[in-house]
Amino acid sequence: MKEQYLTITQLSHYLKYKFDTDTHLSNVYLKGEISNFKAHTRGHYYFTLKDEGSRINAIMFSSSVAKCKFRPVDGMKVLVTGKVSVYEATGGYQIYVSDMLEDGVGNLYIAYEQLKKKLEEEGLFDKSIKKKIPRMPRRIGIVTASTGAAIRDILTTLKRRYPIVETILFPALVQGADAGRDIARKIEIANTYDIDVLIVGRGGGSIEDLWPFNEEVVARAIYHSHVPVISAVGHEVDFTIADFVADLRAPTPTAAAELAVVDIRTVLEYLTTSRTRSYNAICKIIKTKQTKLINLKESYVIKRPSSIYEIKEQKLDMLVDRIGVCIKNVLEAKRVRLFQSTSSYILNNPRMLYFQKHEYYKNLYARLNKEIRIILVNKKAKFFAIENHYILNNPSILYQSCSERLKSNIEKLVVLNPMNTLKRGYAIVKDGDKVISDVEEIEKGMRLSIHLKDGNILTEVMEVNRDSGEK
Amino acid sequence: MEKNEEKEMSFEDKIKRLESIVSELESGDVALEEAISKYTEAMKLSKECSEKLNEVTEKVNKILSENGTLEDFEVKEN
Repeated sequence: MKEQYLTITQLSHYLKYKFDTDTHLSNVYLKGEISNFKAHTRGHYYFTLKDEGSRINAIMFSSSVAKCKFRPVDGMKVLVTGKVSVYEATGGYQIYVSDMLEDGVGNLYIAYEQLKKKLEEEGLFDKSIKKKIPRMPRRIGIVTASTGAAIRDILTTLKRRYPIVETILFPALVQGADAGRDIARKIEIANTYDIDVLIVGRGGGSIEDLWPFNEEVVARAIYHSHVPVISAVGHEVDFTIADFVADLRAPTPTAAAELAVVDIRTVLEYLTTSRTRSYNAICKIIKTKQTKLINLKESYVIKRPSSIYEIKEQKLDMLVDRIGVCIKNVLEAKRVRLFQSTSSYILNNPRMLYFQKHEYYKNLYARLNKEIRIILVNKKAKFFAIENHYILNNPSILYQSCSERLKSNIEKLVVLNPMNTLKRGYAIVKDGDKVISDVEEIEKGMRLSIHLKDGNILTEVMEVNRDSGEK
Repeated sequence: MEKNEEKEMSFEDKIKRLESIVSELESGDVALEEAISKYTEAMKLSKECSEKLNEVTEKVNKILSENGTLEDFEVKEN
């Protein structure tokens, strides 16, 4: 018998049929947390509902979305009503949500995230404003319940670790609606006391129990506290807003007490070792100084002081020797010069001096004579030349050449005489006494005089015509 | 009180001063008279701090009461 093979489509179809005919699945009340939320542009919601063990895809059509009074976001816990069916195309089952409500706890989570974001943006969580916790406070303030494990743990830890510290408890409500305000108020009051550090916290509990430490009023009170604040809320894993604002976060109240003070045994140990270290250090310093002193005392100069002036004595000897040598040299040099002088030829033969001078003056005399003779000869020659000059011997030539020169000049003058020019027919134009030689000096209507060889004419200008280009 | 007047320096300040003197002495870079006076001061501080730690007087824990005064506080063991 051959098996009948189904197609995938057929199988999916069958499964869908199975789901759709199951009355339990047609109206399911489901609770879970939203994730992968996506609002489609056409108005439908697509998301996943999950819890610790499983998840289911969900779709909410826009007609149902209209009934939803809130805006869903990832992480929100919701209660949904819907029908579970198979989406054949993907072969998966999903819930078609018709109604959706917020689950109570989810609200808190949203509020927490919103406040956390708001305060972070305002800068309340900035690391730069966090104050340092003093190592050895004189007095510690505590804001917590007056009964319960928290205060007990804190006080026993402090006593064990650093019993010399004083404490003041500012008792506060640590859960319930009024707790937030009460905690904030106690923090403010604590700031009016002379305390070095403030522990604010409570023991473990549910998220609702710890809720007051997520309230804005508590966060602001911690922010405004000028005393450094250590937060100690609940267990290790819980992180409240107070933890973010505080100057230091402790995972538990016991840890807070440990962080607030130094361990006294450490201090005692240090005091002991500091005494030893100081003692060793001072001994070492003294020893160093001693050694230095001994070395100095042992030095050659200190042990044998005469060595100081022995050195000087030696130096003096050397200087004296040198002076002796120098003086000897100087004297020798002088003697050599003297000998050179006295042994010179002239000193031994004074007549040579006379001969030298005699020769010198004889030469000079000869030269002088020679020069005078030459000058005389030149003068004579000059005189002779003058005496025999042609003109001196023939003065009439002078006269002749002069008269010839005169004659030629007279002839030139005759030619240049303007009267001769006039005789030839030229005229001189005058404006009063001024001779006019350019037409540019003449204007129409001017009165001019024209001088001819035998008289002059008084005229009036009718027209001036300039010749072009001649210049 | 006499004790409080003398101890103008807080416990923490004294420890800090002691630490600073010890490291100065250990560096060796100190003149002799200064070294001796610092050593004396170190010993004095060390003694004062030890005394404070060994104080037998039990520090009493306080609580702010309803009417705004400080009262002694005892942890109630539940």
